[in-house]
Order: sequence, then structure tokens, then C-alpha cells
Amino acid sequence: MRAQFRKRIRIVLAIIILIALGIFARLYFLQIVHGQEYVQKANQQFASGGSGLFDRGSIYFTRKDGTLISAATLATGFLVAIDPQEIINAEAAYVAINSIASSTMVTHTAFLADAMDKTKVYIEVAYHLSNANGSALAALAIPGVQVLRETWRYYPGGSLAAQSIGIVSDGSGGTPTGQTGLEAAYNSVLSRSGDALHKNFFAELFSNANNLLSSTQNANEGDIVTTIEPEVQTRLQDDITKVNQRYSSESSGGVIMDPKTGAIYAIASYPTFDPNDLQNLDPSLLVNPLVENVFEYGSIMKPITMASALTAGAVTPQTTYNDTGCIRVDGDRICNWNLKAYGVIPMLTIIQDSLNVGASWVAEQLGQSRFRQYFTNIFGQKTGIDLPHETDALLSNLSKPQQIYYDTASFGEGIAVTPIQMVRALAAVANGGILVRPHLVSSIILNSGVSQPINWGSGTRIFSVAAARETTVMMDALWDNALKVNGISAKIPTMSVAAKTGTAQLPTPTGTYYKNKFFNSEVAFFPSFNPKFIILLYTEDPKNVIYAEQSLSTSLLDLVHFLINYYAVPPDRNVATTTIP
Amino acid sequence: MVGVLSVTYIGLMAVVMSYAALTVEFSQSVKNDEAAVATLESQYFASVAKITNTDYSAEGYTAPTAQIFVPATAITALR
Repeated sequence: MRAQFRKRIRIVLAIIILIALGIFARLYFLQIVHGQEYVQKANQQFASGGSGLFDRGSIYFTRKDGTLISAATLATGFLVAIDPQEIINAEAAYVAINSIASSTMVTHTAFLADAMDKTKVYIEVAYHLSNANGSALAALAIPGVQVLRETWRYYPGGSLAAQSIGIVSDGSGGTPTGQTGLEAAYNSVLSRSGDALHKNFFAELFSNANNLLSSTQNANEGDIVTTIEPEVQTRLQDDITKVNQRYSSESSGGVIMDPKTGAIYAIASYPTFDPNDLQNLDPSLLVNPLVENVFEYGSIMKPITMASALTAGAVTPQTTYNDTGCIRVDGDRICNWNLKAYGVIPMLTIIQDSLNVGASWVAEQLGQSRFRQYFTNIFGQKTGIDLPHETDALLSNLSKPQQIYYDTASFGEGIAVTPIQMVRALAAVANGGILVRPHLVSSIILNSGVSQPINWGSGTRIFSVAAARETTVMMDALWDNALKVNGISAKIPTMSVAAKTGTAQLPTPTGTYYKNKFFNSEVAFFPSFNPKFIILLYTEDPKNVIYAEQSLSTSLLDLVHFLINYYAVPPDRNVATTTIP
Repeated sequence: MVGVLSVTYIGLMAVVMSYAALTVEFSQSVKNDEAAVATLESQYFASVAKITNTDYSAEGYTAPTAQIFVPATAITALR
């Protein structure tokens, strides 16, 4: 019995010894035979303390077919660091690194100065090397030169919607944080509490089991899906750029939105920037003028005045007034743009021919109290768009007793609102009277894989359905009967479009107005009575042009035709009855 | 018994280390794939920009002289 027991013990010991030998053999191969190989591999996976191997959620554009395309994602590659204490030939090292990473490397002088600083052991000298270039440089095995794995924020679309997508840069404690745009607005969703895939599950299990099982922060982390359509965005951005360059404007911008839901298909301004190259960025370009700047728009405010008066019952479409071409209010003179007296005319002509005297007359019929109430309801609050730093409108003139301020506000002067507030107000005319909430994000894809749609609410009614429709009829008449693009009618035989142009004098810093500097704006929505899209364009201080019809109509018409074709929007009038069997 | 525990302990260590190594490898592989996709997406954006900037008149194309609409639903049509 005892002999048998000894035998069993010897067998077990032999097995243990064999396993131990196996482990020792494996360790020998890992550490001695392939040691250098693994050292190099480990170095490439090492996350440097400075730039950090950081993780962050993606931001997606959504194509019209639902395909998600990255607006912001992560790029991986290598950075190069030197150890001045180990480096032997600084000049040779510079030449070798520069031949591979010249575009992202520090200057020759700076490199040599770094290499001479023997008090340090780690100085980064080049960034954003591709995997191929990083591996090629690592293969050179230059003494004192380390090639380390790096991850950085990358925007495949470059300047596409740059001000709205935003940027990431080092926040407090050196952690990359969203600074502007959606990167900032959704920072808590996009940022990562830790590199989940790099965590050692067993180490977490023993040290932080609770956090591993139920982390609230992890549960809210994910990617965000925007409503921005990349091809529509490209088209809008291209049109805005052309307008700005053609008229040497101070700035230009535009937004394309679904007027019924507030989902933004495209939002662009010029000048803009490339978020992949922040080295020489002018910080003023980070401001998103569509939500952070206010402007006086001129006559695109008239549909808001008209819809308010129609809703209040102050006028009807059949109401007429005697247009004298100019009127005097509180000592100031208000005239039509062409100084023409139109005589006794109906409300439609005020919008179709953009008459300041007519808009003033409507404002007077509405009365100061109701005018203030409507305009405060429409512009008195921020839109709640999911972008940071949204600005309030300037409506202080509507607190004053003089009628002149209400008259000028009726045609878009003396009050200033953001472009996003303006497009929302005009969308209420388009959609039957509802003030919707403009937004850029439709859903969040959580790390668990679950897609969480965002409910942006159903909006608030500000105009009656009838008033919104009657105002649309007036804007529709303008597009069909009055708007000319390069001398040719803008009318589209198979598609109704409602539009309005606006031209305002730019204010001086002292509160008066320039005689020769203008702000042009133009809006259109279509199909007029069941709109899928609303487009707002503006350009600030265009040169050698006065009216928006001259500066913006070409781009507006281009965008309308592009959207009709791109989305195959069915015609809503004069449809040919030809059928294919 | 001691031997069994030792083997179990060594085995557990090996499993933990292998798992950690695989996790890091997998993580890096995912990131590399995402970066490769981003490069393709960048090419897509460049193509869209090129198409948008193309002057089709200069390329010899002319606008259609007439359009006929048929009662069919395109897959790209708004729903």
C-alpha cells in the first residue's frame, strides 16, 4: 500500500517537474531567444504619458440610405521620442527620422537642442506616423530613438461641418476633452472612463469587481449619430464658399433642416478650418456663427410678422391697405426698397414684393403688445440645439414704447437673432405653425451596442395652421412670380417652392447703420405645402452687390435642384401622366 | 496537494497573462481596423468633394431638355 502510494507521489512529482521544465523552457524562449522582438513589440504598445493612447467614441454622419460615415474617429500610428542620454549621433538620428516623418517633426534646431538636453530621458519629436512608416523607423533600431504606439482624433471629412463637429484638445490634467461643437456638447458620451479593451479582466475582478459589473459612467458611453448628410453638407459648404469668395464677404453661412422635425441635414459657415490641423488655427474660427452670432436679417423677417398678424386676427389675406411708398414714424422715414408707392394692395403683395411700408402697417395693426408677445415667444428663448454656447437674441428694442422700433423689427431691422433661431422661426411657417427644436444628433449607440434614439419633443404651436398656410401662399407666389436668378424666373414647373429674400444694412459699432454695407439672407422651403427641406443662407458684407436676390439666389436655386434630384423628391404639380407598363 | 495547488496557481497565472496579452492584441487590432476604415472614409469624402466641384458643362454635358415623371417609387425617395 505504502509502495503504491510512493509510486503515485513520484508520478505526480514527475508531472510537476515536467510542467515546471516546460514553463522554464517557454520562459527561456520568450525572454532570451525572442526577448528583443517582444521588447520592441511592448514599446510599440506602450502608451506614453504625454500624448496618451486615448480612446474616444465616434461621431457619425448619416447618409440618406442610413449608412453611417465617420465625422470624427480615431487614427492609430506611431510617435517618435528620443532619450537624450542614449542617443549617440543626433544628426544622423534627425536625418533618419526626418526622412520618414518630415511633415510632423520638430525643427532641426529644436531636435538638436532636445538631443543635447541630457537631463531628460523622454522627449517626443514626431507624431502621427503611419503604421508602415512607424514600423520602418523601428526597424532601423537607432540608439536613443523610441517608436511608440499612438492614437489621435481624426476627422475624415476635414473641414466638413467643422464648427459643428468641434475639436478635442487637452483639458484639465492633460486628458483630451471636447472643446467645441458636438465634441463638447456630447463629451460625457464620447469620452471614455478607461481603456476598456486594455483592462485586465482578472485584475479588475479582484480589485474593482463592483465597477466592472455596474459602472454608471460606462453605461452612458457610446458613439453619437448625427442627422448631417455628408453629400448635402458638402454641397452646402461648396455653395457657401463660392458665395463668400465671389463677393469677398466677411463671412457666410447656411443651414438645411427638416422643418417638421428640426433635424439638420447640413450646417456650414465660411471661413472654416481643418480640425486635423490645429497647429496654426485662428481661435476665432472655432466660434460657430450659426448659433453663437446674432444678425439683423432684413426682409426674411416679414413672413414672421405676417404669420403673427394672421394668427392674431389683426389682418386676413383679403385685407388691403394703401401703400404710399414712404411713411414717417416717430420722426424717422420708412420707405419701400424701390421707393415705389403701390396704392391699395392686398397682404400677398407685401411678401411678394417685399414692402417695408406694408410690413410696418401690419405691425401697427398687430399692436405693440401683441407684436412683442409673438416675437418674444418665437425669439425670446434659445432654441435648445445640441451645440454649446448658444447665444440669446437681442430684442431690447421691443421693450421701448416708440412705434418705430416695432415697424423696423417687422422687416428685420433693430432686432438681432441667431441663424438657427431664424431658420426655426421660418420652419414654423413651413410646417403649419410649430416651433420645433433644431438638433444635430438623432441617436446614441451605447458601448453595449444598443442604439438609443433621442426624443426632441413635438414642439410648441406659435402660429395657427391657417396663418402658416396663408403666409406660405405668399412666399410661394414670390418664388414663382418675382424671384429672378440671373434674370431668369426661379420657378420650377414641377415643384412648388416658398421663399423670401432679405437685405439689411449692417450696424456700425456706434449703433447707427452703414450706408454701403449689407447683410444678405435668403430662405426657401419645398414642396411649399408639405415641406421636406428648409434652406437658410446668409452672407455678411458682400462687396459690389446690395440685394440678396443678386448674391444668394444662384446658390439657393442650386441647392433646391440638388436636393430634389438627390432625394428624388416627387413633383407636387404639373406631373406628367406618362406611365411605364 | 501542494503540487496540485502549485500547478493550478501556475496555470491560472498563465491563463491571466495570456488573456491580458490577447486582449491588448485584440484592442490594437480593432483600433487599426477602425483607422483603416477612417482612411477609406476620407477617400469617400474626397470623391464627394470632387463630384460636387465638377463643372459638368465644361466636361461637355448639357442639361436635359425635358423631364418625364412616372408613378414609380425610387429606393432613394423620401418615405
